[in-house]
Amino acid sequence: MSNETGSGNDGDKFDQARRNFLRGIGMGTAAAVAQPAWGGQTFQDTFADFFQKDYRRMSAEEIEAALERIERKAQARYDVEIECQNTPPQPGVVYGYAINISRCKGYRDCVHACVKENNLGRDSQMQYIRVLELDQGDFNLEHSDHYYEPETVPVEGKHYLPVQCMQCDDPPCVKACPVEATWMEPDGIVVVDYDWCIGCRYCMAACPYWARHFNWTVPEIPAEEMNTNTHYLGNRPRPRGVVEKCHFCIHRTRKGQQPACMEACPTGSRIFGNLLDPDSEIRYVLANKQVFRLKEDLGTEPKFWYYSD
Amino acid sequence: MNSMTLQCLVCVMCLVVLQAQAEEAPDVRQPLRFEGYPGAPEFEVVPRKDELFFYPCAQCHETMEPNPEIRTLNTMHDAEIEHGRGRIWCLSCHNLENRNYLNTLLNELVDFDEAHLVCGGCHANRHKDWYFGAHGKRVASWQGDRTLYNCTHCHNAHSPAIQPRAPKPAPPVRAGLERQPGIQHEKSAVWDTHVEREEQ
Repeated sequence: MSNETGSGNDGDKFDQARRNFLRGIGMGTAAAVAQPAWGGQTFQDTFADFFQKDYRRMSAEEIEAALERIERKAQARYDVEIECQNTPPQPGVVYGYAINISRCKGYRDCVHACVKENNLGRDSQMQYIRVLELDQGDFNLEHSDHYYEPETVPVEGKHYLPVQCMQCDDPPCVKACPVEATWMEPDGIVVVDYDWCIGCRYCMAACPYWARHFNWTVPEIPAEEMNTNTHYLGNRPRPRGVVEKCHFCIHRTRKGQQPACMEACPTGSRIFGNLLDPDSEIRYVLANKQVFRLKEDLGTEPKFWYYSD
Repeated sequence: MNSMTLQCLVCVMCLVVLQAQAEEAPDVRQPLRFEGYPGAPEFEVVPRKDELFFYPCAQCHETMEPNPEIRTLNTMHDAEIEHGRGRIWCLSCHNLENRNYLNTLLNELVDFDEAHLVCGGCHANRHKDWYFGAHGKRVASWQGDRTLYNCTHCHNAHSPAIQPRAPKPAPPVRAGLERQPGIQHEKSAVWDTHVEREEQ
Protein backbone atom coordinates (compact mmCIF):
# COMPACT_ATOMS: atom_id res chain seq x y z
CA MET A 1 0.00 0.00 0.00
CA SER A 2 2.77 2.35 0.78
CA ASN A 3 4.31 1.74 -2.70
CA GLU A 4 1.20 2.86 -4.55
CA THR A 5 1.51 6.64 -4.16
CA GLY A 6 3.98 9.25 -3.04
CA SER A 7 1.71 10.25 -0.26
CA GLY A 8 2.21 6.75 1.11
CA ASN A 9 5.91 7.52 1.55
CA ASP A 10 4.96 10.71 3.39
CA GLY A 11 2.69 8.67 5.65
CA ASP A 12 5.62 6.35 6.39
CA LYS A 13 7.78 9.32 7.36
CA PHE A 14 4.98 10.67 9.49
CA ASP A 15 4.56 7.27 11.18
CA GLN A 16 8.28 7.19 11.88
CA ALA A 17 8.23 10.71 13.32
CA ARG A 18 5.26 9.89 15.45
CA ARG A 19 6.93 6.74 16.68
CA ASN A 20 10.07 8.65 17.60
CA PHE A 21 8.02 11.31 19.34
CA LEU A 22 6.06 8.76 21.34
CA ARG A 23 9.21 6.87 22.21
CA GLY A 24 10.74 10.14 23.37
CA ILE A 25 7.78 10.90 25.64
CA GLY A 26 7.83 7.37 27.02
CA MET A 27 11.53 7.53 27.81
CA GLY A 28 11.18 10.98 29.27
CA THR A 29 8.41 9.84 31.60
CA ALA A 30 10.42 6.78 32.57
CA ALA A 31 13.39 9.00 33.36
CA ALA A 32 11.20 11.32 35.42
CA VAL A 33 9.82 8.41 37.40
CA ALA A 34 13.24 6.86 37.94
CA GLN A 35 15.24 9.89 39.10
CA PRO A 36 14.68 13.45 40.31
CA ALA A 37 13.82 15.75 37.43
CA TRP A 38 12.70 19.30 38.25
CA GLY A 39 13.33 20.81 41.70
CA GLY A 40 14.89 17.61 42.94
CA GLN A 41 11.44 16.06 43.08
CA THR A 42 10.22 13.07 41.12
CA PHE A 43 7.13 13.27 38.97
CA GLN A 44 5.51 10.65 41.21
CA ASP A 45 6.13 12.70 44.37
CA THR A 46 4.79 15.89 42.82
CA PHE A 47 1.71 14.02 41.63
CA ALA A 48 1.16 12.37 45.05
CA ASP A 49 1.71 15.69 46.87
CA PHE A 50 -0.94 17.33 44.74
CA PHE A 51 -3.52 14.70 45.61
CA GLN A 52 -2.48 14.33 49.28
CA LYS A 53 -5.46 14.41 51.63
CA ASP A 54 -5.99 16.17 54.95
CA TYR A 55 -3.89 14.47 57.65
CA ARG A 56 -6.94 13.28 59.56
CA ARG A 57 -8.46 11.63 56.48
CA MET A 58 -5.38 9.73 55.38
CA SER A 59 -5.08 5.99 55.92
CA ALA A 60 -2.05 4.57 57.71
CA GLU A 61 -0.43 3.63 54.38
CA GLU A 62 -1.07 7.06 52.92
CA ILE A 63 0.52 8.72 55.97
CA GLU A 64 3.50 6.40 55.69
CA ALA A 65 3.90 7.33 52.02
CA ALA A 66 3.58 11.04 52.88
CA LEU A 67 6.30 10.73 55.55
CA GLU A 68 8.62 9.08 53.03
CA ARG A 69 7.93 11.86 50.51
CA ILE A 70 8.78 14.47 53.18
CA GLU A 71 12.06 12.71 53.87
CA ARG A 72 12.90 12.55 50.14
CA LYS A 73 12.04 16.24 49.66
CA ALA A 74 14.22 17.25 52.62
CA GLN A 75 17.06 15.22 51.14
CA ALA A 76 16.65 17.09 47.86
CA ARG A 77 16.24 20.55 49.38
CA TYR A 78 18.72 20.48 52.28
CA ASP A 79 20.86 17.44 51.42
CA VAL A 80 20.16 16.04 54.88
CA GLU A 81 18.74 12.64 55.78
CA ILE A 82 15.90 13.45 58.19
CA GLU A 83 13.56 11.10 60.00
CA CYS A 84 9.95 12.23 59.83
CA GLN A 85 7.73 10.47 62.32
CA ASN A 86 4.09 10.25 63.17
CA THR A 87 4.27 9.49 66.92
CA PRO A 88 0.67 9.20 68.16
CA PRO A 89 -0.57 10.95 71.32
CA GLN A 90 -0.10 9.08 74.59
CA PRO A 91 -3.35 7.94 76.17
CA GLY A 92 -4.31 9.69 79.40
CA VAL A 93 -2.04 12.66 78.78
CA VAL A 94 -2.99 16.32 78.35
CA TYR A 95 -0.03 18.69 78.33
CA GLY A 96 0.19 21.81 80.42
CA TYR A 97 2.88 24.43 80.82
CA ALA A 98 3.71 26.82 83.64
CA ILE A 99 6.32 29.58 83.78
CA ASN A 100 7.69 31.08 86.97
CA ILE A 101 7.96 34.74 85.99
CA SER A 102 9.77 35.70 89.16
CA ARG A 103 12.66 33.50 88.00
CA CYS A 104 12.66 34.32 84.28
CA LYS A 105 15.58 36.68 83.67
CA GLY A 106 14.98 37.36 79.98
CA TYR A 107 18.09 35.57 78.67
CA ARG A 108 16.21 34.42 75.51
CA ASP A 109 17.92 31.00 75.61
CA CYS A 110 14.51 29.41 75.04
CA VAL A 111 13.90 31.48 71.90
CA HIS A 112 17.10 30.36 70.22
CA ALA A 113 16.78 26.74 71.33
CA CYS A 114 13.32 26.77 69.74
CA VAL A 115 14.61 28.20 66.46
CA LYS A 116 17.21 25.44 66.27
CA GLU A 117 14.92 22.62 67.35
CA ASN A 118 12.06 23.50 65.02
CA ASN A 119 14.11 24.13 61.88
CA LEU A 120 13.03 27.76 61.68
CA GLY A 121 14.75 29.79 58.98
CA ARG A 122 17.81 31.61 60.32
CA ASP A 123 17.16 34.61 58.08
CA SER A 124 13.40 34.79 58.47
CA GLN A 125 11.73 37.04 61.03
CA MET A 126 9.84 34.18 62.61
CA GLN A 127 10.33 32.98 66.17
CA TYR A 128 7.72 30.96 68.05
CA ILE A 129 8.62 32.42 71.48
CA ARG A 130 8.69 36.10 72.37
CA VAL A 131 10.08 37.26 75.70
CA LEU A 132 8.28 40.45 76.67
CA GLU A 133 9.99 43.03 78.84
CA LEU A 134 7.66 45.00 81.12
CA ASP A 135 8.07 47.54 83.90
CA GLN A 136 7.76 46.01 87.32
CA GLY A 137 4.17 46.15 88.48
CA ASP A 138 2.90 46.63 84.93
CA PHE A 139 0.99 43.89 83.16
CA ASN A 140 -0.33 45.89 80.22
CA LEU A 141 0.97 43.86 77.28
CA GLU A 142 0.67 46.95 75.05
CA HIS A 143 3.54 48.48 77.05
CA SER A 144 5.74 45.45 76.51
CA ASP A 145 8.87 45.35 74.40
CA HIS A 146 10.32 42.14 72.99
CA TYR A 147 13.14 43.81 71.05
CA TYR A 148 15.03 44.73 74.24
CA GLU A 149 18.80 44.55 73.94
CA PRO A 150 20.58 45.78 77.08
CA GLU A 151 24.16 44.83 78.01
CA THR A 152 22.98 42.46 80.71
CA VAL A 153 19.61 41.16 81.87
CA PRO A 154 17.68 41.33 84.13
CA VAL A 155 17.46 45.13 84.00
CA GLU A 156 16.67 46.84 87.27
CA GLY A 157 12.96 47.62 87.51
CA LYS A 158 11.90 45.30 84.65
CA HIS A 159 10.32 41.88 84.56
CA TYR A 160 10.11 39.35 81.76
CA LEU A 161 7.17 37.41 80.39
CA PRO A 162 7.78 34.71 77.75
CA VAL A 163 4.82 34.28 75.40
CA GLN A 164 4.26 31.46 72.95
CA CYS A 165 1.30 29.37 71.79
CA MET A 166 -0.95 28.85 74.81
CA GLN A 167 -2.45 25.62 73.37
CA CYS A 168 -5.92 26.88 74.27
CA ASP A 169 -8.52 24.29 75.18
CA ASP A 170 -11.10 26.27 73.21
CA PRO A 171 -8.85 27.57 70.46
CA PRO A 172 -10.22 30.47 68.42
CA CYS A 173 -7.67 29.81 65.66
CA VAL A 174 -9.18 26.39 65.00
CA LYS A 175 -12.65 27.90 64.65
CA ALA A 176 -11.35 30.51 62.22
CA CYS A 177 -9.68 28.07 59.80
CA PRO A 178 -11.86 27.75 56.67
CA VAL A 179 -10.25 24.49 55.50
CA GLU A 180 -9.81 22.66 58.84
CA ALA A 181 -6.06 22.58 58.44
CA THR A 182 -5.58 23.13 62.19
CA TRP A 183 -7.12 21.25 65.08
CA MET A 184 -6.54 20.13 68.66
CA GLU A 185 -5.00 16.70 69.15
CA PRO A 186 -6.27 14.38 71.96
CA ASP A 187 -3.26 15.36 74.11
CA GLY A 188 -4.25 19.02 73.92
CA ILE A 189 -1.70 20.25 71.37
CA VAL A 190 -3.11 22.49 68.64
CA VAL A 191 -1.39 21.41 65.42
CA VAL A 192 -1.28 22.52 61.79
CA ASP A 193 -1.25 20.30 58.69
CA TYR A 194 1.17 22.44 56.68
CA ASP A 195 0.25 20.67 53.44
CA TRP A 196 -3.44 21.41 53.90
CA CYS A 197 -2.99 25.05 55.03
CA ILE A 198 -3.91 27.54 52.30
CA GLY A 199 -2.10 30.45 54.00
CA CYS A 200 -5.17 32.67 54.37
CA ARG A 201 -3.95 33.79 57.86
CA TYR A 202 -7.44 33.97 59.38
CA CYS A 203 -6.09 32.01 62.36
CA MET A 204 -3.44 34.67 62.94
CA ALA A 205 -6.17 37.29 63.14
CA ALA A 206 -8.19 35.09 65.49
CA CYS A 207 -5.32 34.37 67.92
CA PRO A 208 -5.33 36.84 70.83
CA TYR A 209 -1.74 35.96 71.80
CA TRP A 210 0.10 36.72 68.53
CA ALA A 211 1.28 33.12 68.66
CA ARG A 212 0.79 32.17 65.01
CA HIS A 213 3.32 33.21 62.41
CA PHE A 214 3.25 33.30 58.64
CA ASN A 215 6.03 31.61 56.77
CA TRP A 216 7.04 34.21 54.18
CA THR A 217 10.11 32.40 52.90
CA VAL A 218 11.44 28.90 52.48
CA PRO A 219 13.52 28.43 55.68
CA GLU A 220 17.28 28.87 55.13
CA ILE A 221 19.05 26.41 57.41
CA PRO A 222 22.69 25.29 57.23
CA ALA A 223 22.73 21.52 56.57
CA GLU A 224 24.76 20.76 59.71
CA GLU A 225 22.30 22.65 61.93
CA MET A 226 19.24 20.84 60.57
CA ASN A 227 17.33 18.93 63.24
CA THR A 228 16.75 15.47 61.78
CA ASN A 229 14.26 14.36 64.43
CA THR A 230 10.97 15.61 63.00
CA HIS A 231 7.24 15.02 63.20
CA TYR A 232 4.58 15.41 60.52
CA LEU A 233 2.54 17.83 62.67
CA GLY A 234 5.57 19.51 64.18
CA ASN A 235 8.99 20.59 62.99
CA ARG A 236 9.29 18.90 59.60
CA PRO A 237 10.59 21.10 56.78
CA ARG A 238 7.66 23.28 55.82
CA PRO A 239 6.62 24.82 52.53
CA ARG A 240 6.57 28.57 52.07
CA GLY A 241 3.33 30.46 52.59
CA VAL A 242 1.77 28.53 55.49
CA VAL A 243 1.05 29.41 59.09
CA GLU A 244 3.22 27.90 61.83
CA LYS A 245 3.32 28.00 65.59
CA CYS A 246 4.65 26.38 68.75
CA HIS A 247 3.51 22.77 69.06
CA PHE A 248 5.02 21.99 72.50
CA CYS A 249 7.81 20.14 70.62
CA ILE A 250 5.40 17.36 69.66
CA HIS A 251 8.26 15.21 68.32
CA ARG A 252 9.95 15.26 71.74
CA THR A 253 7.15 15.45 74.30
CA ARG A 254 5.19 12.52 72.89
CA LYS A 255 8.30 10.42 73.53
CA GLY A 256 8.66 11.68 77.11
CA GLN A 257 11.38 14.27 76.46
CA GLN A 258 11.10 17.88 77.56
CA PRO A 259 10.26 20.65 75.10
CA ALA A 260 13.42 22.32 73.79
CA CYS A 261 12.60 25.65 75.49
CA MET A 262 12.30 23.97 78.87
CA GLU A 263 15.53 22.04 78.39
CA ALA A 264 17.36 25.22 77.38
CA CYS A 265 16.06 27.42 80.21
CA PRO A 266 19.06 28.08 82.48
CA THR A 267 16.89 29.24 85.37
CA GLY A 268 14.46 26.32 85.44
CA SER A 269 11.50 28.68 85.21
CA ARG A 270 9.64 26.39 82.84
CA ILE A 271 7.51 23.53 84.14
CA PHE A 272 5.89 21.06 81.78
CA GLY A 273 3.84 17.97 82.44
CA ASN A 274 0.67 15.96 82.31
CA LEU A 275 -2.38 17.81 83.62
CA LEU A 276 -4.22 14.52 84.18
CA ASP A 277 -1.53 13.11 86.51
CA PRO A 278 -2.25 14.33 90.07
CA ASP A 279 1.38 13.70 91.12
CA SER A 280 2.92 15.73 88.31
CA GLU A 281 4.92 18.88 88.90
CA ILE A 282 2.52 21.02 86.91
CA ARG A 283 -0.36 19.91 89.10
CA TYR A 284 1.63 20.83 92.23
CA VAL A 285 2.22 24.30 90.79
CA LEU A 286 -1.45 24.76 89.89
CA ALA A 287 -2.55 23.63 93.35
CA ASN A 288 0.03 25.46 95.48
CA LYS A 289 1.04 28.63 93.65
CA GLN A 290 -0.74 31.81 92.67
CA VAL A 291 -1.20 31.13 88.96
CA PHE A 292 -2.78 33.24 86.25
CA ARG A 293 -3.30 32.98 82.52
CA LEU A 294 -3.02 35.69 79.91
CA LYS A 295 -6.27 37.27 78.70
CA GLU A 296 -8.26 34.78 80.73
CA ASP A 297 -11.42 36.84 80.21
CA LEU A 298 -11.52 35.84 76.55
CA GLY A 299 -12.53 32.32 77.56
CA THR A 300 -10.01 30.56 75.34
CA GLU A 301 -8.91 28.33 78.27
CA PRO A 302 -5.14 28.41 77.69
CA LYS A 303 -3.21 25.41 79.02
CA PHE A 304 -0.35 27.77 79.83
CA TRP A 305 -0.02 29.33 83.26
CA TYR A 306 2.24 31.93 84.84
CA TYR A 307 3.12 32.15 88.50
CA SER A 308 5.49 33.98 90.78
CA ASP A 309 6.83 33.13 94.21
CA MET B 1 -4.10 21.14 140.62
CA ASN B 2 -5.73 18.83 138.23
CA SER B 3 -4.28 20.65 135.24
CA MET B 4 -0.86 20.60 136.91
CA THR B 5 -1.01 16.84 137.14
CA LEU B 6 -2.06 16.67 133.53
CA GLN B 7 0.80 18.93 132.48
CA CYS B 8 3.25 16.82 134.45
CA LEU B 9 1.89 13.71 132.81
CA VAL B 10 2.23 15.26 129.35
CA CYS B 11 5.77 16.32 130.18
CA VAL B 12 6.72 12.87 131.33
CA MET B 13 5.16 11.34 128.26
CA CYS B 14 7.05 13.74 126.07
CA LEU B 15 10.27 12.90 127.78
CA VAL B 16 9.62 9.20 127.32
CA VAL B 17 8.91 9.77 123.63
CA LEU B 18 11.99 11.94 123.23
CA GLN B 19 14.11 9.37 124.99
CA ALA B 20 12.76 6.64 122.74
CA GLN B 21 13.56 8.80 119.71
CA ALA B 22 17.04 9.46 121.05
CA GLU B 23 17.62 5.76 121.37
CA GLU B 24 16.35 5.06 117.85
CA ALA B 25 18.12 8.04 116.30
CA PRO B 26 20.88 7.03 113.88
CA ASP B 27 24.47 7.88 114.56
CA VAL B 28 24.79 11.55 113.62
CA ARG B 29 28.30 10.90 112.40
CA GLN B 30 26.93 8.76 109.56
CA PRO B 31 25.86 10.37 106.25
CA LEU B 32 22.29 11.54 106.72
CA ARG B 33 19.38 9.78 105.08
CA PHE B 34 16.57 12.30 104.75
CA GLU B 35 13.09 10.85 104.33
CA GLY B 36 11.80 13.77 102.30
CA TYR B 37 8.48 15.59 102.35
CA PRO B 38 5.41 13.36 102.49
CA GLY B 39 3.72 12.92 99.12
CA ALA B 40 6.65 14.20 97.05
CA PRO B 41 7.37 12.09 93.96
CA GLU B 42 10.67 10.22 94.01
CA PHE B 43 13.72 11.62 92.27
CA GLU B 44 17.45 11.31 91.83
CA VAL B 45 19.95 14.14 92.07
CA VAL B 46 22.57 14.70 89.40
CA PRO B 47 25.90 13.97 91.14
CA ARG B 48 28.26 16.91 91.44
CA LYS B 49 31.34 15.73 93.31
CA ASP B 50 33.22 15.09 90.05
CA GLU B 51 32.87 18.75 89.15
CA LEU B 52 34.33 20.02 92.42
CA PHE B 53 37.86 21.23 91.87
CA PHE B 54 39.27 20.63 95.38
CA TYR B 55 37.27 17.50 96.26
CA PRO B 56 38.12 15.34 98.24
CA CYS B 57 38.83 18.17 100.67
CA ALA B 58 40.52 15.89 103.20
CA GLN B 59 43.47 15.56 100.82
CA CYS B 60 44.80 18.83 102.19
CA HIS B 61 42.82 19.21 105.40
CA GLU B 62 43.91 15.94 107.01
CA THR B 63 47.37 17.40 107.43
CA MET B 64 46.00 20.61 108.98
CA GLU B 65 44.92 21.24 112.53
CA PRO B 66 41.12 21.89 112.70
CA ASN B 67 40.57 25.49 113.73
CA PRO B 68 36.99 26.31 114.80
CA GLU B 69 37.73 30.00 115.40
CA ILE B 70 35.53 32.32 113.29
CA ARG B 71 37.85 34.28 110.99
CA THR B 72 38.26 35.50 107.42
CA LEU B 73 40.11 33.00 105.27
CA ASN B 74 42.98 34.39 103.25
CA THR B 75 44.00 31.15 101.55
CA MET B 76 42.81 29.62 98.32
CA HIS B 77 39.15 29.64 99.36
CA ASP B 78 36.62 32.43 98.76
CA ALA B 79 37.42 35.07 101.35
CA GLU B 80 34.05 36.83 100.99
CA ILE B 81 30.86 34.90 101.60
CA GLU B 82 27.93 36.80 100.09
CA HIS B 83 25.42 34.58 101.77
CA GLY B 84 23.48 34.98 105.01
CA ARG B 85 24.44 38.65 105.50
CA GLY B 86 27.29 37.90 107.88
CA ARG B 87 25.38 35.44 110.01
CA ILE B 88 27.07 32.31 108.68
CA TRP B 89 30.61 31.33 107.96
CA CYS B 90 32.46 28.25 106.62
CA LEU B 91 31.68 25.85 109.46
CA SER B 92 27.95 26.63 109.35
CA CYS B 93 27.80 24.33 106.33
CA HIS B 94 31.18 22.51 106.25
CA ASN B 95 32.05 19.89 108.83
CA LEU B 96 35.05 20.67 111.00
CA GLU B 97 36.37 17.15 111.54
CA ASN B 98 35.31 15.29 108.40
CA ARG B 99 36.10 17.70 105.58
CA ASN B 100 34.64 15.46 102.87
CA TYR B 101 31.16 16.13 104.18
CA LEU B 102 28.86 19.06 104.70
CA ASN B 103 27.14 19.84 107.94
CA THR B 104 23.51 20.57 108.76
CA LEU B 105 22.42 22.88 111.58
CA LEU B 106 21.80 19.73 113.62
CA ASN B 107 25.43 18.74 113.10
CA GLU B 108 24.55 15.87 110.77
CA LEU B 109 26.95 14.82 108.04
CA VAL B 110 25.71 15.38 104.46
CA ASP B 111 27.35 14.15 101.27
CA PHE B 112 28.33 16.86 98.75
CA ASP B 113 25.99 15.23 96.23
CA GLU B 114 23.08 15.90 98.57
CA ALA B 115 23.89 19.52 99.35
CA HIS B 116 20.19 20.40 99.11
CA LEU B 117 19.75 18.97 102.61
CA VAL B 118 22.04 21.67 103.95
CA CYS B 119 20.32 24.44 101.97
CA GLY B 120 16.92 23.17 103.12
CA GLY B 121 17.91 23.74 106.73
CA CYS B 122 17.26 27.46 106.27
CA HIS B 123 15.38 27.69 102.97
CA ALA B 124 12.66 25.22 103.88
CA ASN B 125 9.95 26.64 101.60
CA ARG B 126 12.24 26.58 98.55
CA HIS B 127 13.42 23.12 99.51
CA LYS B 128 9.86 21.84 99.59
CA ASP B 129 9.09 23.50 96.25
CA TRP B 130 12.20 21.86 94.84
CA TYR B 131 11.05 18.45 96.08
CA PHE B 132 7.67 18.84 94.40
CA GLY B 133 9.04 20.44 91.23
CA ALA B 134 7.95 24.08 91.52
CA HIS B 135 11.57 25.26 91.98
CA GLY B 136 14.76 23.89 90.47
CA LYS B 137 15.37 22.19 87.16
CA ARG B 138 14.44 18.72 86.00
CA VAL B 139 16.78 17.04 83.53
CA ALA B 140 15.98 15.36 80.19
CA SER B 141 12.41 14.10 80.54
CA TRP B 142 9.03 15.29 81.74
CA GLN B 143 7.84 11.70 82.12
CA GLY B 144 9.17 8.72 84.03
CA ASP B 145 12.21 8.88 86.29
CA ARG B 146 12.80 12.32 87.81
CA THR B 147 16.36 13.56 87.76
CA LEU B 148 16.92 16.96 89.34
CA TYR B 149 19.79 19.37 89.44
CA ASN B 150 21.07 20.09 92.92
CA CYS B 151 20.77 23.61 94.40
CA THR B 152 24.50 24.12 93.92
CA HIS B 153 24.34 23.40 90.17
CA CYS B 154 22.73 26.80 89.61
CA HIS B 155 23.56 28.71 92.80
CA ASN B 156 27.12 29.25 93.98
CA ALA B 157 26.75 28.31 97.63
CA HIS B 158 29.15 31.09 98.64
CA SER B 159 27.31 33.74 96.55
CA PRO B 160 23.91 32.33 95.69
CA ALA B 161 22.35 35.29 93.88
CA ILE B 162 22.22 34.67 90.10
CA GLN B 163 24.48 37.18 88.37
CA PRO B 164 23.14 39.21 85.39
CA ARG B 165 24.47 38.24 81.98
CA ALA B 166 24.01 39.26 78.35
CA PRO B 167 20.82 38.11 76.62
CA LYS B 168 20.81 36.23 73.32
CA PRO B 169 20.22 38.42 70.23
CA ALA B 170 16.85 40.13 69.84
CA PRO B 171 14.51 39.16 67.00
CA PRO B 172 14.76 41.30 63.87
CA VAL B 173 12.30 44.17 63.90
CA ARG B 174 9.57 43.38 61.42
CA ALA B 175 9.27 45.69 58.46
CA GLY B 176 6.87 48.51 59.26
CA LEU B 177 7.14 48.05 63.01
CA GLU B 178 10.21 50.24 63.55
CA ARG B 179 9.87 52.76 66.35
CA GLN B 180 9.08 56.16 64.91
CA PRO B 181 10.87 59.12 66.51
CA GLY B 182 8.62 61.54 68.36
CA ILE B 183 5.84 59.04 69.00
CA GLN B 184 5.36 57.80 72.53
CA HIS B 185 4.03 54.29 72.11
CA GLU B 186 4.10 53.66 75.83
CA LYS B 187 1.46 56.25 76.59
CA SER B 188 -2.00 56.55 75.23
CA ALA B 189 -1.45 59.63 73.06
CA VAL B 190 -5.16 60.07 72.37
CA TRP B 191 -6.02 60.25 76.04
CA ASP B 192 -3.17 62.66 76.82
CA THR B 193 -4.20 65.12 74.11
CA HIS B 194 -7.77 64.88 75.33
CA VAL B 195 -6.67 65.75 78.86
CA GLU B 196 -4.55 68.63 77.57
CA ARG B 197 -7.49 70.06 75.63
CA GLU B 198 -9.73 69.78 78.67
CA GLU B 199 -7.18 71.66 80.75
CA GLN B 200 -6.93 74.49 78.22
